[in-house]
Amino acid sequence: MSSLSLKHIEKIYPNGFHAVQDFNLEVEDKEFIIFVGPSGCGKSTTLRMIAGLEDISDGEFLIDGVKMNDVEPKDRDIAMVFQSYALYPHMTVRDNMGFALKLRNVPKDEIDAKVNEVAKILDLEKLLDRKPKALSGGQRQRVAMGRAIVRNPKVFLMDEPLSNLDAKLRVQMRTEIAKLHERLGTTIIYVTHDQTEAMTLGTRIVVMKDGIVQQINTPEHLYNKPCNLFVAGFIGSPQMNFLDAVVEVKGSDVFLHVGDDVLKVPDNKKQVLIDGGYDGKVVVLGVRPEYFGDGRGLEDQFCTLKCKIEVRELLGAEVFLYGDINGKQCTARVAPEVDLVHGMLATYSVNMDKIQLFDKETELNLLYHD
Amino acid sequence: MKRNTFSYKVKQYLMFGGVGTFLFCAVVIVPFIYGIYLTFTSWDGVSRDKPLVGFANYAAAFKDADFWMAMGRTVIYSVFAVVFINILAFAMAYLVTSGVKGQNFFRAGFFVPNLIGGIVLGYIWKFVFNRAFVAIGNAITGGTTTSLLATPRGAMFCLIFASVWQYAGYMMLIYVAGFMSVSDSLKEAAMIDGCTPAQAMRNVTIPLMRSSFVQCIFLSITRCFVIYDVNLSLTKGEPFGESVMAAMHVYNTAFTYKRYGQGQAEALILFIVCAIIGVTQEWIGKKGEVEA
Repeated sequence: MSSLSLKHIEKIYPNGFHAVQDFNLEVEDKEFIIFVGPSGCGKSTTLRMIAGLEDISDGEFLIDGVKMNDVEPKDRDIAMVFQSYALYPHMTVRDNMGFALKLRNVPKDEIDAKVNEVAKILDLEKLLDRKPKALSGGQRQRVAMGRAIVRNPKVFLMDEPLSNLDAKLRVQMRTEIAKLHERLGTTIIYVTHDQTEAMTLGTRIVVMKDGIVQQINTPEHLYNKPCNLFVAGFIGSPQMNFLDAVVEVKGSDVFLHVGDDVLKVPDNKKQVLIDGGYDGKVVVLGVRPEYFGDGRGLEDQFCTLKCKIEVRELLGAEVFLYGDINGKQCTARVAPEVDLVHGMLATYSVNMDKIQLFDKETELNLLYHD
Repeated sequence: MKRNTFSYKVKQYLMFGGVGTFLFCAVVIVPFIYGIYLTFTSWDGVSRDKPLVGFANYAAAFKDADFWMAMGRTVIYSVFAVVFINILAFAMAYLVTSGVKGQNFFRAGFFVPNLIGGIVLGYIWKFVFNRAFVAIGNAITGGTTTSLLATPRGAMFCLIFASVWQYAGYMMLIYVAGFMSVSDSLKEAAMIDGCTPAQAMRNVTIPLMRSSFVQCIFLSITRCFVIYDVNLSLTKGEPFGESVMAAMHVYNTAFTYKRYGQGQAEALILFIVCAIIGVTQEWIGKKGEVEA
């Protein structure tokens, strides 16, 4: 069992830069936690504080209930996979993998057995006597993983381990990491700026921006119930479309005016707009690309938007339509059979049950709160 | 224009490397070859005649006990100087890359002695050893202190000390480059793997600085082997010629004793020693090259 607890963690650099603010997280055993966010959001800094490579300015960090703030990295029983892999170039793959055990005075036979076992798991057996410079990017990445696995640590920390790989290899390694987590059953904290990695690997995702945690939840929850505009925009690819809409309360019905188009808010979503006094005010309407469809013939049902299509991208199994809705760039993800092409003034249907509504000022989601 | 023709390539070479090649030949290659020719003559360095004497100068050089004693002294001096230069340079490089406050100031300060010419440096230290230390010693002991330069061992110590002071800053820069070439992520990986700072230094940093060590050690060996300026200004070979190094002996043979051919032959032997050191450095450096 290994659980982590980060309580009110702060990181302030000597120059006064506040890199991480009031970071709180409880990590259960065997969880795969992803820190995700744009560059400079503090995700790697937080990971490095967990590793002991950065001092914690304030707050408490505990592993299995033991305070780790002032414990040396070597005594935290953690292993880390670096973005650059950080393999020792003067050592063979075997020596790289066994180095940590050697430092702990583990008998040579035992080191060899463990290294061979892990090499077998990661398909590195034939590479054990090579030096890192004789390996490909994917092989180096696997050696870096192997070096971490051999130690059987309480926690794995991974700092953007796939970012140096090409797209195809990245997908392959992503699957391997997921399998490895399943097999090893260890707690993993993984940093990435790639939301696809975050969605596919994580049991829970921590979304960060400017050193502040925006939302912590499962990938499904973040995708379907983002707490604010930032999370809604960051999670999902292509990203969610945002349109300014004027609210109109007419009797018991609520309508959203997007330019000349009018959408009727479903019954289960309208109350928050009525109670919040949004009548006549502008809110941000969020629609994921897949919730747009070909709306020809639905014009009178208050669920369509006009879009001037500018680019049609065929990806094989699906088509992305890039266009302009009331002056805002929007993306729709439709089936290849949909015969909308660039230059057309299309009518999109909107799946109104899946829309998100955000306050224009606070940027908070009006429909869901964590 | 055809770019693959021989004449095109020659023109290209002459355009970019012609001047450099000419100057290099004029001041290095031609004098060197002419020097080899002179080793087969009994030229006194002044007269027009340069009678050929075959290998007599080489025979004389090999029989010249003073030359081999000077070589022996040079080896002893080099061993001590190289060890101390490199230990001090490594320590200084570690200091100025460890993030200590004012590290740029220290970096510049440590390098300054290298900017002072060997002759000036020798006279400065001669003053320090002959006057300053003696005055301090006299003040403490009451007037019985003699200069370190007055004894053969003391003179050797002074030569080693001045050389270490002069070269350590220069070598420090190479070690600084070595320290900076080891990526932080490797040091961090070592820390997480369980290294203490000393273990990280021994197992990760130093092996990855191999090329810096090879360069510094061999560079300091070759520099020490041809020491002349500090030798001249600090000890002038005294006392009793006991601090005459190989280069000074070569100079004296050629210009003081007017045995130019023999001096040139001894210089060639010194060159061969240095060339062997240089080639060994290149070989060892290439052999253990590690992509950091």
